[in-house]
Amino acid sequence: MLTLENVHTFYGKSHILHGVSVEVGPGEVVGLLGRNGVGKSTTLKTIMGLVRPSQGRVVFEGRDIGGWAPHRLAHLGIAYVPEDRRIFRLLTVYENLRTGLDRGGITEQRKTELLEKVYENFPVLRERRNQAGGTLSGGEQQMLAIARAMMLEPKIILLDEPTEGLMPRMVTQIRHIVDVLHREGVAILLVEQNVPMTLEVSRRVYIMEKGQVRHHAPAEALREDQTMIHQYLGV
Amino acid sequence: MVIPWELLVIQLLNGVIIGMILALVASGLTLIFGIMDVVNFAHGELYMLGAYMGTTVMLTTGNFWLALGGSALTIAALGAVVQVTALRPLLGRDPLTTILATFGISLVLQNYALWQYGPVARKIDEPFTGQFALFHLQFPWYRVVIALLSAAIILALWLFMKYGKYGIWIRATTQDRVMAAAMGIPVPLVYTMVFAIGSAMAAASGVLYAPLVGINHAMGLDVILRAFIVVVVGGMGNLAGSVLAAIFISLLEALASLWVSPAQAVIVSFIVLILTLLIRPTGLFVPTPK
Ligand SMILES: Nc1ncnc2c1ncn2[C@@H]1O[C@H](COP(=O)(O)OP(=O)(O)O)[C@@H](O)[C@H]1O
Ligand SMILES: [Mg+2]
Repeated sequence: MLTLENVHTFYGKSHILHGVSVEVGPGEVVGLLGRNGVGKSTTLKTIMGLVRPSQGRVVFEGRDIGGWAPHRLAHLGIAYVPEDRRIFRLLTVYENLRTGLDRGGITEQRKTELLEKVYENFPVLRERRNQAGGTLSGGEQQMLAIARAMMLEPKIILLDEPTEGLMPRMVTQIRHIVDVLHREGVAILLVEQNVPMTLEVSRRVYIMEKGQVRHHAPAEALREDQTMIHQYLGV
Repeated sequence: MVIPWELLVIQLLNGVIIGMILALVASGLTLIFGIMDVVNFAHGELYMLGAYMGTTVMLTTGNFWLALGGSALTIAALGAVVQVTALRPLLGRDPLTTILATFGISLVLQNYALWQYGPVARKIDEPFTGQFALFHLQFPWYRVVIALLSAAIILALWLFMKYGKYGIWIRATTQDRVMAAAMGIPVPLVYTMVFAIGSAMAAASGVLYAPLVGINHAMGLDVILRAFIVVVVGGMGNLAGSVLAAIFISLLEALASLWVSPAQAVIVSFIVLILTLLIRPTGLFVPTPK
């Protein structure tokens, strides 16, 4: 469904991605691990059209989407939950969700259903729906960022370190929502530092180093034999 | 010198009325700045062209309200074209380039108006000429209507920004352009829309105010200077701040002109501007940042 073929990305003159190839099938949860600064976030940004690949192809459902504007990618069914969450701080929780709801071809009834679904999964968002997004705690902001992405009814969600800096209770909730999305058939490309969680929820895992994918294996294999994890992540 | 209190009341009323018109012009300006970071030097010319467009519609239909609506729509379309052709290509460049671009546009529009409509001032008749007695004076109802209509348009803008789908798009884009795009919001279109709305507001104020001042190709110059002062005093990009600043400054000027000539009273707005920049550069009515 989503394929990166030999993607190279630059920030100005610095060469960040050196030929990354990654694949995510329909409904598949795929992990992307690696130390800080190896290019995981840049990979997601390249998919989302926030930086342009200088070389290589990004293909989504048979279409070469390299260089497409982000809003068109969102309409195609790609949703993005960035590392720093980037919720709209001055918009209320409800308005944050509306940014993904007010789009063409969606009925009022469907909008209500989608809202109900996230309010059920994240009751705290219902409580705080009229509160400015900036007043939420870090964990609540993370939930809002994921909930907001869900409003787009995406086919794939690019999740960048959703559990970073969260308390264990919050991590459990995030983990739960990943399961919910997976059950609904939404594909997920999950960037994480939390290795145990990634190995549990993913089917396959890519390990990156210095802007390249160095290892690729079924999550199960990595759970049993952690040599590669030790080698590339030092944990 | 003792001022009779009737005169004081009349001047206060005049101050509020001028203030509302000024608020309408400044709202468009501050909207465009707040959302697009564009200092629109052509805003006064959109106001001027709006007034001229009002005369054109007035000549063909004879209806003031059609002139108001028709002019706002036409100038909105013009604003959209200007944004797409001149400003969109500059997105992400040094803000100085957009200042130069809008300044260039203002010169083009001014000379276009001179060429199209000639140097002789024109006039739009008031939609109605009723008056009411205010002490010893006959006060035109139309002036009151101007203030009320300006307030209504600003209120409509506020409601649109608060509850409308596009209002939320606009606010989301203001806060985080990249994330807004990632949420499927067509950011380039949002910018065009904002510029069109700002232009329509300038045009509407031009038509509303024209019966009081007469129309000529340079009429934008005077108003834009005052609008800029208001926008800075109100806090760049702050809609409510602009409205308050417009009324505040107009009231001060109206009161000052009880003692000095109206031309000298203008100095008051510069004094407020300078004091604002010295004491509260983020806006007179904005809480001081911690
Ligand atoms: N906007 C940017 N401009 C320049 N360099 C950047 C930018 N963002 C990230 N980088 C650099 O790119 C490299 C990869 O960053 P990133 O993709 O965020 O890594 P990761 O998500 O794996 O921690 C890092 O060396 C980082 O310093
Ligand atoms: Mg990262």
